[in-house]
Amino acid sequence: MSRSIQYTASPLLASRTPVWRSKFVVGAIALAFSGLAARAAYIQVVANDFFQHQGEVRFARTLDLPSNRGRILDRNGMILASSVPSPSIWAIPEDVEIDKVQLQRLAKLLDMQVSDLAKKLEDEDKTFVWIKRQIEDDTAKQVAALNIKGIYQRKEYKREYPEGESAVHVVGFTNVEDKGQEGVELTFNKELSGRNGSRRVIKDRLGRVVEDVGDLIPPVDGKDLQLSIDSKVQFFAYQKLRDAVVDNKAKAGSVVVLDVVTGEVLALANYPSYSPSKRANLSGAQLRNRVLTDTFEPGSTMKPFVIALALEKGLVKPETVIQTAPGKITISGSTISDAHPHGALTVNEVIQKSSNVGTVKMAMQMQPREMWEMFSQVGLGQKPQVPFPGVVSGRLRAYKTWRPIEQATMSYGYGLSTSLFQLARAYSVFAREGELAPVTLLKSTQPAPGVRVMEASHANEVLHMLHLVTGPGGTAPKAQTMGYSVGGKTGTAHKQEGKGYADKKYRGFFVGVAPIDNPRIVVAVMIDEPTGGKYFGGDVAAPVFSETVQQTLRMLGVQPDMAVRPQVVAQAVEESF
Amino acid sequence: MIRLNLVLLLAVLASAVYLVSVQYDSRRLFAELDKSRSESKRLESEFGRLQVEKRAQATPSRVERIAREKLQMRQATPGITTYVNYSAPNGPADAASQPAITKGKGVLP
Repeated sequence: MSRSIQYTASPLLASRTPVWRSKFVVGAIALAFSGLAARAAYIQVVANDFFQHQGEVRFARTLDLPSNRGRILDRNGMILASSVPSPSIWAIPEDVEIDKVQLQRLAKLLDMQVSDLAKKLEDEDKTFVWIKRQIEDDTAKQVAALNIKGIYQRKEYKREYPEGESAVHVVGFTNVEDKGQEGVELTFNKELSGRNGSRRVIKDRLGRVVEDVGDLIPPVDGKDLQLSIDSKVQFFAYQKLRDAVVDNKAKAGSVVVLDVVTGEVLALANYPSYSPSKRANLSGAQLRNRVLTDTFEPGSTMKPFVIALALEKGLVKPETVIQTAPGKITISGSTISDAHPHGALTVNEVIQKSSNVGTVKMAMQMQPREMWEMFSQVGLGQKPQVPFPGVVSGRLRAYKTWRPIEQATMSYGYGLSTSLFQLARAYSVFAREGELAPVTLLKSTQPAPGVRVMEASHANEVLHMLHLVTGPGGTAPKAQTMGYSVGGKTGTAHKQEGKGYADKKYRGFFVGVAPIDNPRIVVAVMIDEPTGGKYFGGDVAAPVFSETVQQTLRMLGVQPDMAVRPQVVAQAVEESF
Repeated sequence: MIRLNLVLLLAVLASAVYLVSVQYDSRRLFAELDKSRSESKRLESEFGRLQVEKRAQATPSRVERIAREKLQMRQATPGITTYVNYSAPNGPADAASQPAITKGKGVLP
């Protein structure tokens, strides 16, 4: 088949075109089309996923949905810790375009030196630099208003602790990553922290979200935690303790308030303390939750348990007379003495005057096993079941290793150790008619069942003795408080130093119960190394007890059980230690 | 036949244009919804922040200090409190709910 095409009438072009040329063009076009078709097939079929993905990357975004950390509340729903938005400022140094005026303004807003700020932005190698973390929300808005290129904000949350230093040992704190570091924040970190969610969206040219694609993972907020702490009781206990530590020029102090009916911890405070928002120069002494982590020899505060055991065993009655003259007793070569010789004392008076000799005489009639059982039944030598980091168990040695002199010294509280918390809990035995209260740091409204340790009548007899301690002729008349009857036991212990006892270093403490007829609270106070001249528990710790009881019972709405009259504080007798 | 096809073609075109407009509307509304959602989220956290701030202004330590220093108040003691027995209309109330009436001027709550 041959055909010639007459393109034009021009003679120059009149020559016949060869057929292969048109064929070549047709072929080339066909080839181009098949190339396109192959490419289309490749894009649509073979590499579809890749291109789909590349497309999505350009308009689809995964957004983080941050969860909130749960709040910590006190028993009345008051906030003890809560997270508030607190953006962090960061920059990409190589993108930053900033002039001098802006730089100065930014530095002023962020409370930084201009030179420091300039240095941070100078480093062109880095692609990311924190400028300042966790600033105020309002400041962040002002920074955003400056509209500086290359400076960005990241949404973060900061913990706020309205109660500050008074409750910090209970509540603890979190670090900049919102992880619990101390106290309840640490032990309940898992419950408090939520789980971040995410969602996948399509964004338009202006950055607005226009469509949800894919699955939405909703964020799970952390649970709120309600503690048994009453923030008012907590504050007043802390305030009284702080004043006492400062007045007595002491090294430290602790106080704990327990509700004996429900076993709740109403307050738990230590001094020295610290502010959770200013943690730059923290020392271990400030950080320590002494109530739970420090142990000491409880001294005379152990005597009521020995007396209770003597009553249980029928060795004595409260009115039995015990001869304590001449104020000293020798046990296997060692002499134990009273600060003042007292002569013949009834069992009531042994507690009231805190006589070592009287207590030892009773204790030596007991088996070591029986004493050990009494001590461990009230929780000595055992870790209290409270959710706190660093809770200690104290020391109570196995009774088989006790020598007679050790049994004697243990009866008045030397040779064993306990934390203030354990001591307070142990005294709930007398407040609950012989039952040891369970303890909880979380709010509970139900009366908690206790564990029976001794008979109700014996516990009540000891309770009466504790009441006598605060009366005239007792070691702690300063524990009295207006309107409420109280009872308790003083303790003054030499501090251990190295292998022996330090000469002039003491710990004064007081553990007590109030009101005496229908006990509601146990309060334990410890003052470490008072150097203001007074060091007896009845002088340094009992006043804190008195004021704390006064405030706590008033806030719990307990009606005074005593006729109110201006009370004359009787002269205290010196206790033995 | 041709007429029918023309009608169908017009219908398809109209539907396509309508689809575009609906899609546009839906995206616009979604963007608005999303904006409102994030606004509500922001307000929620603002509420939380203000609550904390309010609480920080009403801590026992601050109340106590201001009451003592600015208002010259003093701590209530049983000595200046009159306790009255309160019986509810339907019967006697329990002992715990007896309110305390405090006499005298300038007594801390």
